[in-house]
Amino acid sequence: MNKRLLAPLGTVILGAAVIAGIGSYVASAKNDSRVLIATPAGTVNTPQGNLPHYTLDMSTYPDSMAGSHGNNGGPHPDWVTYGSYTNFQVPAHALITITIKQYDSGSRITNDFFASVHGTVDGMATINGKDVTKVDPLAVGHTFTLHGLADAKSQLFVSVPLPSVPDSLMPSSGYTKTPTTITFSFITGDAGKYVWNCEYPCGDGTVARFGGPMSTQGYMSGNFTVVNA
Amino acid sequence: MSDLETQKRPSVFERKDVKQTAFFWVIFTAIIGYVSATIQTRSMGAAASDTMSTTIHMINVFTWVVSPVAGLIAAMAATTLVSKMHFGDAPPDEADHQIRNSPRATSSWLIISSLLCLFAVVWGTIVLQRDNAAILDSAAMNINVTGQQWVWNFDYVDNGTVRSADLYLPVNKPVVFHVTSKDVIHSFWIVQMGIKIDANPGYITETSVTPSKIGIYDIRCAELCGLYHAFMQTKVHVVSQADYAAWIKSQGGRA
Repeated sequence: MNKRLLAPLGTVILGAAVIAGIGSYVASAKNDSRVLIATPAGTVNTPQGNLPHYTLDMSTYPDSMAGSHGNNGGPHPDWVTYGSYTNFQVPAHALITITIKQYDSGSRITNDFFASVHGTVDGMATINGKDVTKVDPLAVGHTFTLHGLADAKSQLFVSVPLPSVPDSLMPSSGYTKTPTTITFSFITGDAGKYVWNCEYPCGDGTVARFGGPMSTQGYMSGNFTVVNA
Repeated sequence: MSDLETQKRPSVFERKDVKQTAFFWVIFTAIIGYVSATIQTRSMGAAASDTMSTTIHMINVFTWVVSPVAGLIAAMAATTLVSKMHFGDAPPDEADHQIRNSPRATSSWLIISSLLCLFAVVWGTIVLQRDNAAILDSAAMNINVTGQQWVWNFDYVDNGTVRSADLYLPVNKPVVFHVTSKDVIHSFWIVQMGIKIDANPGYITETSVTPSKIGIYDIRCAELCGLYHAFMQTKVHVVSQADYAAWIKSQGGRA
């Protein structure tokens, strides 16, 4: 090959390789690479017929001393977090029942839309044993909001508010002995990649309190993958 | 006076390199015009509103209008590569053909570029003005759009307290969107309807459209807004007036 062309060609190839390497590294970087696979629980009769049933359990904590961040709380021990997993995998076309133990306090949610239950079976959630369609927007601790890319054949959107633990029940150290228990079920569609995040502004002081743990994977958000069984 | 000086120089259009450039110009103009217009309009999807149809038409026309400019540059580059390559330190005499300090060339380039830009600005302004006319239409329906990291929600303020995460619209009915954000700046974009407007926290922006075709289309955030910006997407369902009324009723609203 002409030597005149070798130098520019090599430069272009080297530049492309460096950019591709950086892109691959950023794309694969995750704070928490662990995935919780839903537990099978037989079959169940649903509005869409008899479907396989799976369950997932998770919790929300007022700091990072529990969950996936280690005994010392990891790099941000004071950040609120979901635990003990933030990445989940469930089967397609199945009934998924999620149970969340909510250990955190809260206050007014900025958008009342997320104080209502969306996308669950019958539009309901069970909070401490009581069926509800919405909660008091002045007393929300967090939300579990699941959504995905619009090109999925069946759009999956689930949002459930997690009421706050009253301040009177929040201990000065450690976690409350009486967390709020929220249970809800929804039916998955086709396989696809989704994400979930909290819609209550529980982050640090940046970005209208949507910064910090709200903008960092592995705390108040994560991946939710629906796979073919 | 030498023989060389007395010899009449051929017309510029008779020169080989000019003929070659003209040939390439025609070829490249056709290729660039067709490929650019086709790729752009195909990537924009099927139009679901008059706004989008007009936008696609405008982009098509403008692409063809400007393709001779791109074609000329490509043609000159091709001519140079094909017949003007020179290796060595001393350039041949015939290389001294560059246009330098030419008011005619400079002004031609500036005037043509300015006219092309002006053409796009004037036509685009007329289209935008016409499409936003629905904002003043008292018969238009109103929908509040709220962006929040990283989902959209919609309030059907003319139909009671109905709210949704997917957008539902009746076909051939003007609709005005009142758009805001709860956190950072987002951008509300209905892809196949050709409307896009920023969603700013603490501020309401407005845009309007009249859906012209029943179907399911894409809503995306067009402003980089954080971790899951790429997932800030949802659907708009354009349905018949009867189906829209039925959906509103099923959500507990008044049709």
